[in-house]
Amino acid sequence: MATPTTRLEERVYRIYMEFFEKAERERRWSVFDDIPWDKVNRDAPEDLALCAETFASVEMYLPDYVAAGINIVRPWFGRSWWQANWGYEESKHSLALGEYLVRSGKRTQDQMFALHETLFAKKWEAPFDTARQMTLYGVVQEQATFVIYCKHREFARRAGDECLHAIYDYIARDEIAHTRFYQAVTEALLEEDRPGTLADLALVFANFKMPGVDLVPDYDERILKMREEGGVDRDLFIRKVYLPVLKFLNIGRHEMLAAQRVALEARQRRDAMGA
Amino acid sequence: MSESKNLLPLFLTVAARVDKRSFDDVTRESVITDLGIDSLSMMQIVGEMETELKIQIPDEDLVEIITVGDLCSKVEHRLV
Repeated sequence: MATPTTRLEERVYRIYMEFFEKAERERRWSVFDDIPWDKVNRDAPEDLALCAETFASVEMYLPDYVAAGINIVRPWFGRSWWQANWGYEESKHSLALGEYLVRSGKRTQDQMFALHETLFAKKWEAPFDTARQMTLYGVVQEQATFVIYCKHREFARRAGDECLHAIYDYIARDEIAHTRFYQAVTEALLEEDRPGTLADLALVFANFKMPGVDLVPDYDERILKMREEGGVDRDLFIRKVYLPVLKFLNIGRHEMLAAQRVALEARQRRDAMGA
Repeated sequence: MSESKNLLPLFLTVAARVDKRSFDDVTRESVITDLGIDSLSMMQIVGEMETELKIQIPDEDLVEIITVGDLCSKVEHRLV
């Protein structure tokens, strides 16, 4: 049976078309033509390559991200096309980072293929069940990713690698554009069902983890290095993700308290059962 | 200052309620994350303390809170 196109879905379609027009006119970049490959610093420290490899590894789960995302939103035109475009933009991120690792001489092509095999041996599963929850996960995840790429853009600059600096710059621009799309959709969701959307947002905050956790080899050691080199401290999530997301969506901290308490208690019950 | 002494018990009460466990040997010097309280739970604790005391700490002040004493000081400042 066909899923009816609701007012919400019409609005999401318009948000997508606005996003897509801006992307086509102002934000497109080419892996081949726009990255200053001649400015790779082959003498940059290994830690810079390790961090780039970690980003590339997380981006490599693209088939799982796209499959999960597009299956959840399959009945809706705007959201489905968003997923397709999102997949295209994200595919360039892993390609650019992979090319960087090979062209910088930090990894061989064979090492990269071996890494792909290791990564693909595991599968990323969508952390939430509904289209609304996954949209809210998108808000948080894209904002967090944007912040971390910005931090590492500075690391690349300090390491004198103009090429990687440019790659991180292009990726960060994409990530913040993705955040803005998800935020615009979230505004529509809040207008449609504010209590339900706040409950889902609290659920996402309480259970949020970056997509590479439990998938990328040596993830914990890599993250320690990424935090160290990127200047990522423990309160960054609150300072650069939680508070900015609430502010952008015009949600007061106190408005979140009731839903957040329910979400935290559910997480505690789940953790206790798992312990 | 007298308010400083009074706010630690309130912090412990709210933290216990939010995290569903008791906290021992906590002082104003205790680092909140070292107590096993994650950043989201801390936001909840701050919010519930604000509600109980009918105050509001500005968001920009929240990012400066590292220790229990930092939180108590922010609250004290708003109570004055």
